[in-house]
Amino acid sequence: MMWLIAQREFRTRTFAKANLIVSAITIVLVIGGALIAKPFLSEEEDAKLVEVGPGAETLIPYLEAEAQARNALVVFEPVNATDLGETPDEDLELPDGTTAILVGPAAQPVLYLEDADEEVMSIASDASRDMVLDRALTDLGGDTAEVSEAIAQAVPSITIVGDSGEFDSGQFFAGMVVILLLFFVLIQSASVIMMGVVEEKSSRVVEILLATVKPATLLGGKVLGVGLYSLVQAATMLIPLLFAGWYLDLFTTLDMEAGPLVANFVIWFLLGFAIYTVFFGGIAALVSRQEDIGAVTTPMMFLMMVPLYLSIYLVPNNPDGVATTVLTQVPFFAPFLVPMRAAFGTISTGETVLAIGICLVTIPILTWIAGKVYAGAVLNTGGRMKFREAFARG
Amino acid sequence: MMAHPAGRRYSGCARSVETGRNGGAVSALEIDSLTKSYGEVRALDGVSFTVPAGEIFGFVGSNGAGKTTTMRIILGVLNADAGAVRWNGDSIDLKVRRRIGYMPEERGLYPRMKVGEQLTYLARLHGLSATEAHRATEHWTEVLGVDHRRGDEVEKLSLGNQQRVQLASALVHEPDILVLDEPFSGLDPVAVRVMSEVLRGQADAGVPVIFSSHQLELVERMCDRVGIVKDGRLVALGSIDELRATEQRQWRLSGTMPAGWADGRIAQWPGVTVEPDGPGAWLVKAERDDAAQAVVASALSVGVVSEFTPVRPSLTDLFEGVVNEQEVAA
Repeated sequence: MMWLIAQREFRTRTFAKANLIVSAITIVLVIGGALIAKPFLSEEEDAKLVEVGPGAETLIPYLEAEAQARNALVVFEPVNATDLGETPDEDLELPDGTTAILVGPAAQPVLYLEDADEEVMSIASDASRDMVLDRALTDLGGDTAEVSEAIAQAVPSITIVGDSGEFDSGQFFAGMVVILLLFFVLIQSASVIMMGVVEEKSSRVVEILLATVKPATLLGGKVLGVGLYSLVQAATMLIPLLFAGWYLDLFTTLDMEAGPLVANFVIWFLLGFAIYTVFFGGIAALVSRQEDIGAVTTPMMFLMMVPLYLSIYLVPNNPDGVATTVLTQVPFFAPFLVPMRAAFGTISTGETVLAIGICLVTIPILTWIAGKVYAGAVLNTGGRMKFREAFARG
Repeated sequence: MMAHPAGRRYSGCARSVETGRNGGAVSALEIDSLTKSYGEVRALDGVSFTVPAGEIFGFVGSNGAGKTTTMRIILGVLNADAGAVRWNGDSIDLKVRRRIGYMPEERGLYPRMKVGEQLTYLARLHGLSATEAHRATEHWTEVLGVDHRRGDEVEKLSLGNQQRVQLASALVHEPDILVLDEPFSGLDPVAVRVMSEVLRGQADAGVPVIFSSHQLELVERMCDRVGIVKDGRLVALGSIDELRATEQRQWRLSGTMPAGWADGRIAQWPGVTVEPDGPGAWLVKAERDDAAQAVVASALSVGVVSEFTPVRPSLTDLFEGVVNEQEVAA
């Protein structure tokens, strides 16, 4: 019986013309956006060209080594004196596509460039110094390889103390995607259930339904059907987003992993759904007309938006502060705070397990309250019913 | 135009109407001493009646008298403070309730669901298989003349057609009991006839049918028995003839008698009242026929009598009589 009700809910919502159109538009926008954005995002940086004039050729291996050490895309090309014309001075014009010209002598080279390209400047000066050092070492009979290694190891190990204040945009982005998607899907499913409950009340069809099914069965079927519908909705958004992320190589660029993101979403969707939608489905029975629905949707909005905003502002600024840690364990906050903190890597497994545990304990209690309120209020017509009265009657 | 509604049976939902579990007794819906209060207001005060299988029971009363409350209690959508509803001697549980066809006072269907889909869904909620539900939907939409609208959303139908769909939703699972709250309100005469025939057919097939209505002529014509409810109490119960029998008999007397001719004589006729009933006409009420004859003899002595005919009180008269009597007593 419950399955029959769930099927109707699922079909009515999923195959509603408006829903099909909106879903199609979402898919087209996300995938189309990714396809269009690809050429812009994947445009490769051109290598800088530095022409190396007579007298400075011996610097080329040092220049290349320095460029490689910096991971810089610079190409060094030897040119002969005739290409450079007369003795170069500040009136020299660089050929098209050339970033700089380096001319000898190798120990004191002259670098001509139009813009003060710091990367090229430091490569040139370090290369020159390397060469001079190399020569001096050789002259002294030292082993250059040994010295190079010793220099390479002479690096302090760095420990940042206190709040680094460094903002990791990749983590923030990953967390935002999960909680915004959660927020969107949860608020949508809660609204759909609430409107469904009020629609059945306002159209009075609920009286016929309750003559043949129990209130709990009716609410249960509704929750199940709308839950499945919301999962399809979430997949409609998540799959194109994952495709876009993969296609645009965003996971690598932003240093994100799709697996934990999806797992985080699925776990907190299920828990959040059980916490918010079941509860608000029951509460919606307090009103009988669509125009009164604001009386129950507004508290729901608040109850979801406050945790959402706290996740966005509190977690990045104070990922393991007292307020964050405490609110993580509050059922209505957990579905947003935990995924965000998980994205930032600032939540311990123990905290996550505890938050999930508290939610799992709260869900039956909330469901019981929702069921009682629903049963007590669903046949009440007219104005808004008081929560306590409905609870007592149910 | 319409197939006989009682003739069809769907496998898996056969009725068990003719005999009940009480040693072969006829099935009956028993409403026993229902009491219900809403805060200070006593909506029902010991309402009791029984509707045996095959009977059409008319439930009449003023607005707010307690008809809808009684029906909602029968359906279990409302709990009584005291009293019980029994089917074949047993309390009604969800299983029995699912075999009731119900039409609530405030019509209720999903406005944006198609007629066919909606009826099939409701039939399935009442326990029919998909095939049975589909077949029953086709059958009842044909019988009620809305088969051509099966693919339309309910809200696109006229009110009259929505009402037909509503009745179809009460019948689509081949119920064992029918409880209909104001099934005729807002219907055109053709729809009234179709619906009356359907209800008669259901009763003939052994279903107890309870319906409430303010259209008293219709109740008088259709119902085997009537219950009149006032302020939560059942103030009259029985067939129309039985209810008439409790009333004083009435005659209409007309002729050339002068106005006020009976005033001086009324003392001679115990238990008789004579009231003017239009120009040259009087309404004579008497407990015994010979007293009425004495009134006629007296009239003949002062004028020419052109009419002396018994008046059979309609249900409307009975209803008004009962209701007024209660008010006077109160």
